[in-house]
Amino acid sequence: MIGLPLAFGAPLVLAGLIALPIIWWLLRLTPPKPNQEVFPPLKILARILKKDETPHKSPWWLTLLRLALSALVILALAEPVLNPQNTKLSGEGPLVLIIDNSWASAPIAENQKRTALNLINAAEASSRPVILAALASDGKVPLGPFDAAAARERLAAVKPEPVPGDALETATLAIELAGENKANEIIWLDSGLESKDKDEALESIGESGFKSLSWHGPDALPLSAVTAAENGAETLKITIQRASGAADTAPGQLLALDEKGRQLAETPFLFTGSETSLEAELKLPFELRNDIASVRISGERHAGAVRLLDDRMKRKRVALLSGAPTDAAQPLLSPLYYIERAIAPFADIVQPRSSEISGAVTEFLDAKPSVIIMADVGSIPAPAETALKDWINKGGMLVRFAGPRLAAASDDKLLPVALRRGERALDGTMSWTVPQSLLPFGETSPFAGIDIASDIAITRQVLALPEPSLSERSWADLADGTPLVTASEQGRGRIVLFHVTPNTSWSNLPLTGTFVEMLRRAINLAQAAGGGALLSGQTVLPPFRAVNAEGIITPPAPTAQPLALKAGAAPKVSFENPPGLYGNAEGAIALPLLGKDDRLVLSSAPKLPFPVTAQVYQSSAPQPLKGAMLLAALALLALDCIAVLWMTGAFRSWRLGAAAASLALVLLLPNADRAMAQQNAPAARTQAVDDATAIEAISQTRLAFVKTGDSQIDKTSHDGLFGLTVFLRDKTALEPGDPIGVDLETDELAFFPVIYWPVDAASPMPSANAIARADAYMRNGGTILFDTRDQDIAGFELSGGGSPANERLRAILDGMNVPPLEPVPSDHVLTKSFYLLSDFPGRYKGGDLWVEASANAETLTDRPVRTGDGVSPILITSNDFASAWAMEENGNFLFSTVPADALQREHAFRTGINIVMYMLTGNYKSDQVHIPALLERLGQ
Amino acid sequence: MALGALTAPASKTEALARAQQRAALVPDLLVDAKRLAATTINGWHGRRRKGIGENFWQFRPYVEGEAVNRIDWRRSARDDNTYIRDREWEAAHTIWLWADPSPSMLFKSKGAQVSKESRALVLMLAMAELLSRSGERIAWPGVAAPFSSRNGAEKLSLRLVDSPAVSGPDLSMVKRFSEIIYASDFLDAPEDIIQHLQPVAERGARGHLVEICDPLEEIFPYSGRQEFLDPETGERLKVGRAETFGEDYRALFIARREELRAWASRFGWSYTLNRTDRQASECLAKLQLFLSEDRGLAA
Repeated sequence: MIGLPLAFGAPLVLAGLIALPIIWWLLRLTPPKPNQEVFPPLKILARILKKDETPHKSPWWLTLLRLALSALVILALAEPVLNPQNTKLSGEGPLVLIIDNSWASAPIAENQKRTALNLINAAEASSRPVILAALASDGKVPLGPFDAAAARERLAAVKPEPVPGDALETATLAIELAGENKANEIIWLDSGLESKDKDEALESIGESGFKSLSWHGPDALPLSAVTAAENGAETLKITIQRASGAADTAPGQLLALDEKGRQLAETPFLFTGSETSLEAELKLPFELRNDIASVRISGERHAGAVRLLDDRMKRKRVALLSGAPTDAAQPLLSPLYYIERAIAPFADIVQPRSSEISGAVTEFLDAKPSVIIMADVGSIPAPAETALKDWINKGGMLVRFAGPRLAAASDDKLLPVALRRGERALDGTMSWTVPQSLLPFGETSPFAGIDIASDIAITRQVLALPEPSLSERSWADLADGTPLVTASEQGRGRIVLFHVTPNTSWSNLPLTGTFVEMLRRAINLAQAAGGGALLSGQTVLPPFRAVNAEGIITPPAPTAQPLALKAGAAPKVSFENPPGLYGNAEGAIALPLLGKDDRLVLSSAPKLPFPVTAQVYQSSAPQPLKGAMLLAALALLALDCIAVLWMTGAFRSWRLGAAAASLALVLLLPNADRAMAQQNAPAARTQAVDDATAIEAISQTRLAFVKTGDSQIDKTSHDGLFGLTVFLRDKTALEPGDPIGVDLETDELAFFPVIYWPVDAASPMPSANAIARADAYMRNGGTILFDTRDQDIAGFELSGGGSPANERLRAILDGMNVPPLEPVPSDHVLTKSFYLLSDFPGRYKGGDLWVEASANAETLTDRPVRTGDGVSPILITSNDFASAWAMEENGNFLFSTVPADALQREHAFRTGINIVMYMLTGNYKSDQVHIPALLERLGQ
Repeated sequence: MALGALTAPASKTEALARAQQRAALVPDLLVDAKRLAATTINGWHGRRRKGIGENFWQFRPYVEGEAVNRIDWRRSARDDNTYIRDREWEAAHTIWLWADPSPSMLFKSKGAQVSKESRALVLMLAMAELLSRSGERIAWPGVAAPFSSRNGAEKLSLRLVDSPAVSGPDLSMVKRFSEIIYASDFLDAPEDIIQHLQPVAERGARGHLVEICDPLEEIFPYSGRQEFLDPETGERLKVGRAETFGEDYRALFIARREELRAWASRFGWSYTLNRTDRQASECLAKLQLFLSEDRGLAA
């Protein structure tokens, strides 16, 4: 069909589409027949029906549906195929198929393979053998000629490799083979990336005896690749290339990953216009930058999008060596003190055990540091000097600080510049000069951009001998133009000299942040310990990690060979040495796929002496649509059935169904609620007190008692508290509500100031939960009045045996945090809170009332009451208060006191009132002693 | 499979055939009517009793709950009691009967016992039987002028056979103090019906409207695709999904009835509903009640 890559297997069937108008006409003619009814109140019905037009024919959408159904069936029978592929071959003899499976082919590998398969199929159709060569291979695979089946098998083994193809070699082999087999047609399946190697290979093909070349390539190279990574002083700079010819802007994302593939940072980049190269910067704290193991372009799946960073970019190991004797007593004078403090956050520090310089250097070199810092070392013994020089040449960095010893030394080789002997004093008594500050750092200096503290004053320095290259070598200058820091490259390493001491004797530079920053920048320039692998002279490194064709970091493939390092030549990526890390977990170097100078250029069909046909890969596979179309037709048929049924009213019982469904839902929902409630049961328990109960409970002060479960005791407790309530109303300003019984397990206790707990040995022991709740109540400020009610048998004893109720009380108190107790002392607030009382009788007389011992209370002679804060959370009596208070509605007392004495009952009520007052007012009474003083101050 | 059907040919042109058919129907109806009348005969004997009329019958004490405006204040002023003046039932009462003969009345559904027309005729003839037995004068507009006869129902039915069916009767003969019993399905527009009956009501006659209704018309149980046929006009109406209109239709149907009922009660007329799936005697008993009821306007 026009515009669509669609072909038909049986195009004649399409003639059936002519029948569609007839079908349409037929469909329109046969509306469903309605049921006829006589209906006298038609006028009434007609008034409603005015809004609804009754169609005389079947509705248009039904017709359309059926037409679409017919059309779909006809189209499906015509066997349509999306993206049909017709491959035609022209030549004779074996077909030479060269596949460029280098790294750039990874994104288009599917298309490439499909094309190759088509070509092999076409060769099979004309029964031609196939010579198959993949550019990236180890050169040991046979190239053919194969028959079609073997060729397909071989093709299945060809996959993109994360290496540039070895085009020339493979092409030569293929040409030779073709010549032997008299092949004259060659097909080149390109990866789309231009390379010099491939150009040469194609040239050599042009010079051989082929008659035609069919060149397949992608129409664009949608790649961007990382070509360089550089660890700057502040940022990690990543160079990203993209294919030339891509003129539009393309935003991308660069990810920094750690060793385990976790993302540490990301930075967006944007190619604008026809730009093909840009530099992305990852700004990260240095410590974090150390953890970056690889950078990757997000969304790209090929080896070029990934770049492994090796140890050379990691945290440095720094060795410190001082010429001055270490003096632990005066650390601030030690030359190394400031350096150590400055670099400790970002570098590993190695200190020598050996005090002798030569031994120390040997020790250092074994530790493989990136940087050796020497502070004021004047003369280096010759063997150490040789070892150091060798180490520097291999990439080491030596940072030296001046000092009196260096200034006095003669003929030191390990310096970036030649020095004058002796130091220059800028503020001596005999000098005209003044202490110098620093000039701003030059653009080319590694220190560029560091803020210079304004108060830096350099009072002494060593001076460099003037020479033409001095300004190049100078990283920092004093205000008068003399260099302060100089550096020179030696081999692959570097020597840096600070012309001042690292302590404060020559300048105050080490006291400033500038010093820290300068050291940090300088050390960042050094190669990391991994350089150690190189530095130690190892020349053959085993593969450690590899980047595969999809850009995934994997353990190395078995075909990967150790990497041999040759002096003066950068290692090259090859099939044997795929990109990745070489070395071991201790230290490895990265072998990147692409170098700084690599460019991504879209390849084009070559110009050869014989005809070249250029083709573009097809982006999608052929797809037969017959099945999908028939399925769609079936779906339409089902739709049609439903529509017809609906129109004839077959779904009128659906209302019933819907009703049933909603009923089911209604039945289910409460269950769901219940299920939720069960889940939330613990939470619900704490909220069991509904608002109404709570409001009722707190709107009036009430006395409460613990329900023991024994109805007689509970009634006595209730009547007793009722009697007390009546007395409270009569005698005091407090008007409590009716007393209430509480269940310790379930009821909220916080509403009550005091809870009366008659202890009964016969009733069941309260559960641990109940005791815990009571304990919490006491801790939160409530008071429980325990009453063992057995003064007639035995008084309450804190220790030793006792009555059953006593035992039970002890068992209950075991589960609580009970403070130390004491019988109410004579000057306790309880004795004075409303009435003056000397004892606290209930039904019985003589039992003590126990309260929390007031440990810190002091008894002052001028006060009637002992001081002390708080209210005792616990009161224990054995006098059976409730029975003494118990009163009927009509005011009759229920129990006589023992002995029967009206005054004892009166005192029992006074006790109750005192207790309630004590609960409600606390130690207020003990503060009343101040009243005379307060009144006096008020001027009374 | 229709739920309802017309029980007789609805064509108006075959008037003669219609008349013959009705003649055949009426004797049956008469027997039927007699049977019905026998059940309600009690309480109609002896017209020497209180009722609607113009002459004094008795004073009787006022009983709490009765309309205050019926109190005879002149009599009550004479002593401490309050009295009500009852009047004697007027013998010279003319009761007009009419049953709608329109084609829509011929409809009978499966759930109904008889067609609406049949039910209306039965009711009217039964009333005729009852009224003539108690000596009332009965009449049928356009068919029979007021007459009094022992066999009034027979006479009326004979006259009905001879007369052509008239759907809109001439009610100008219905005068004050007479009553009219008007049985129809009231499916015409309520405005038309009211316009037709308004003059009668304004003249002071009392009316009793009897709506004969087929259960099907009230329930509207149809669903799916239907084609409805109006028996009066022959109009056809196709409906896609009939069940979707049920609610609206029922509301309109009831609204029409309520409008008529409201209008009737404004003039003190009664409005009785009789569904053809219910017994005719129910309606008869109600009519008897309404007829014997003092409408309280007499004073």
